[in-house]
Amino acid sequence: MIGLGLRLAVAGGREAAARLVVVAAAVALGTGLLLATLAGINATKTQNLRYAWLNTGIAEYTTTPRAGVDPAWWLIRGDRFRGQELGRIDVAATGPAAPVPAGIPALPGPGEFYASPALHDLLRTVPADELGDRFPGREVGVIGDAALPSPDSLLVVVGQSPETLATQPFAQQVTAVLTTDPAGCMRCIIGLDNTMFTVSLSVIAAALIFPVLIFIGTATRLSAARREQRFAAMRLVGATPRQITVLATVESTVAAVAGTLLGFGVFFAARPGLAEIPFTGATFFPSDLVLTAVNVAAVAVGIPLGAAVAARLALRRVRISPLGVTRRATPKPPRAWRLIPLVAGVAELAYFVGRRPETTDGQTAAYLIGAVLMLAGLVLAGPWLTMRVARLVADRAQRPAALIAGRRLADDPMAAFRAVSGLVVALFVMTAASGAITSFVAERARPAGDSVAATSLTQAFWPERLAEGAEPPTVADIPAGLSAVPGVQAVLTVRENDRQVAQNMADPSGPGLISCADLARAPGFGSCPPGAQVVSVWQDLIGPRDPGVTPAETIWPASTVTDLDSRRLLSVVVQTDGSDAAKERVRTLLATMDPFGEPPASDAEHQASSTLTLVQFQRLADVVILASLPIAGCSLAVSVIAGLTDRKRPFSVLRLTGVRIRMLRSVVGLETAVPLLVVAAVAIGAGLLAASLFLRAQLDYPLHGLGAGYYAMVGGGLVASLGIIAATLPLLRRITGPETARNE
Amino acid sequence: MIEARDVKLSFGETPALRGATLAVAEGEILAVMGPSGSGKSTLLHCLAGILVPDAGEVQFAGQRIDTLDEGARSALRRDRFGFVFQFGQLVPELTAVENVALPLLLAGTKRRAAVAEASAWFDRLDLDGLQQRRSGELSGGQAQRVALARGLVSRPKVLFADEPTGSLDSLTGEHVMDLLVSSAREQGTTVVVVTHEARVAAYADREVIVRDGKVTTAVLT
Repeated sequence: MIGLGLRLAVAGGREAAARLVVVAAAVALGTGLLLATLAGINATKTQNLRYAWLNTGIAEYTTTPRAGVDPAWWLIRGDRFRGQELGRIDVAATGPAAPVPAGIPALPGPGEFYASPALHDLLRTVPADELGDRFPGREVGVIGDAALPSPDSLLVVVGQSPETLATQPFAQQVTAVLTTDPAGCMRCIIGLDNTMFTVSLSVIAAALIFPVLIFIGTATRLSAARREQRFAAMRLVGATPRQITVLATVESTVAAVAGTLLGFGVFFAARPGLAEIPFTGATFFPSDLVLTAVNVAAVAVGIPLGAAVAARLALRRVRISPLGVTRRATPKPPRAWRLIPLVAGVAELAYFVGRRPETTDGQTAAYLIGAVLMLAGLVLAGPWLTMRVARLVADRAQRPAALIAGRRLADDPMAAFRAVSGLVVALFVMTAASGAITSFVAERARPAGDSVAATSLTQAFWPERLAEGAEPPTVADIPAGLSAVPGVQAVLTVRENDRQVAQNMADPSGPGLISCADLARAPGFGSCPPGAQVVSVWQDLIGPRDPGVTPAETIWPASTVTDLDSRRLLSVVVQTDGSDAAKERVRTLLATMDPFGEPPASDAEHQASSTLTLVQFQRLADVVILASLPIAGCSLAVSVIAGLTDRKRPFSVLRLTGVRIRMLRSVVGLETAVPLLVVAAVAIGAGLLAASLFLRAQLDYPLHGLGAGYYAMVGGGLVASLGIIAATLPLLRRITGPETARNE
Repeated sequence: MIEARDVKLSFGETPALRGATLAVAEGEILAVMGPSGSGKSTLLHCLAGILVPDAGEVQFAGQRIDTLDEGARSALRRDRFGFVFQFGQLVPELTAVENVALPLLLAGTKRRAAVAEASAWFDRLDLDGLQQRRSGELSGGQAQRVALARGLVSRPKVLFADEPTGSLDSLTGEHVMDLLVSSAREQGTTVVVVTHEARVAAYADREVIVRDGKVTTAVLT
């Protein structure tokens, strides 16, 4: 019987072959996505290990004195170049037995440095006054892949003398290089939150795989009627129900096995491209996207097994007797109670607006329950909404196409909605996430590109960062060429206030002071109250501010200080025209003022660092939307084909009687495009509503527009889906030709 | 009204019509008989402009239709011809009355008016009360009468019927033929009915026999 099942599956005629190919393709897509997710989780862990050595000096284990080891001085800082983080590690060996990180043969000596490959390339193409001058000495080698979190990482290991680093308050003496997962190190600050990425990737995988499962389910129903008739014919000649089950299971398993094998091929073919998706903030080495033996075994066995179980379940819906096929039950029209979970979810989220739970656990529970209720509610309410809209269309239709399409959708709204339910899940999850992330990033005041927050760089000289007994640079130390850099508009100096750190972020008094005469030279940073000579400011002349208030609108509080010129320098703020060249030249010049201080940066760059992960998640959300829409389009296309096959006899008769193919195309178009577009609109609306309620409840932020990029992505995905549906339309002409009416 | 002259048509290497010639007068009811595979359905499809012959010509109301393009032939079938086939003609999503109204809707009639006109046929064809049934809820005879109503509702010049009683029992078949003939005569519609049943052919004014792709015998009844 298994042999017969195999023969029927692979040589059972064109329809059987088409079903096999479509199901195998759907399974391949699902397998590929599943493997990509598993590899992504593994790659995140591997990348985290690659970050490990950067926590040397931070992890307690690396600073413990060890016999036979010459400690090395170690100072790590985060610099930037054109929006990208640039890790800088200054090192100094105190003896020949100093620890050496992987990727370099030895610690560089004073006047030497090792650069990562990406930085090495930049140093050769970018003018030295924008980058190279920050690293005194000569490049003695390229850092090997073993020390790189990502192929694109910008890293430099700069050699110093032990005497120089020993005076730096943030330099550490290290005796070992950290090689273990930073996630397991309490004090480690550089690396990834594995758990967060695993959970996020799992959610994203679910959002992607659900549409694929729907696709597989739809594909298995292709030519189901003819297949069931064939089973009935076998029953007539004596096949038992058990033998029929074996046949169906073999057919499904063959498709699943072929699809699974193909899925592995898809994964390995797509791996280099996947490695380029920087969902952790950095791209991956393709070799890090690996699958464990357990991963491979689970997928290779689990998917065909799942297909076999699904085939058994599918046969339970029909009774195949020797005299034909009967449905076990006629689907009942969906009832209005299906709206209850959706309404409950909205109500639950709305309840917490102005009543934010006190604890993190309480907040998580509140929002998760609401979001899950809304999501489940959407899937549950979908058929009811489809039925209501379809009935409305059918009742008001004046043209046959709308009447036929409306009736078909209203007759079996479950089937109509099933084809697009995967899209609902993906669009809802991703719209809610994008809405929340976009608004969060916007509210955290990611400044406009032309704002001083983006165009000015600040070099601060915090007293705690100064070497013991050392004094901060003076005005005389400010590089003379700074003002002459093309694009520099103002160089402003901020002096120390009496109180160095503001106790209350709402208190506008900052830790610095500036003369009103200086401030007047750069009105983008705000102004003084009338009559004031000196005002209290933040070191970057921006500081924390209320959402919606631009730095130029700030009126700084007057200070009574009269000895401004004799006070120590707190920071130098350089306003530029915002061009990359100007900013990088200024950054390079400022770095020479305080070579071991915190590298200069703009407010926008600090903000970008804090929201980087969120922005990466948003990118992943975009990937999900882009992928799930065409998958939903495939499901719809397959359901179109199945629907056409079901009705090819009446449609071909209609064509014989002179009905234009255009009218039949309209029927198909309405049956597919309408649910796709309506469901997309509902899912997007629900996602935005969920995001809005969450933002108001948790953060008291309004929902910000998602931006043209998001809508372009959704629009592009919908157009791709409609294109896939349109690709099935030539089939309509073929299967409704006169020969169908003659021969069927 | 409709005429085929020396019509030849092959499906691949297999000849279906080998020079069939036939003429049908206006208002005439013609039965086309013949054994299975003789080419009678193919001849009907050529007469109706569904198939284009390889050779010969087909005329309707003095105009050649075999030289028309597909769009013009579709328009002809839609506007001037009606059809009844053996089975499976009704659109399953539509109610019986909507199925009957379909040709009117396709011609641009407003739905309310189309449905009203279609409803009138239900009384004439003993289908009263079945207007809102779907095709799956109708018996074979009922479905065939609904199809007949659909074929006649737009008052076609010619009604083509291909084995209209082929899937019905004899009693129901006779009922359907009674209605078909009476309705056609009432409207003055020309009827070409393809059948292999002598009792169906008996309803016609004239019958011809197709054998091996040729109209070989014509019998006056």
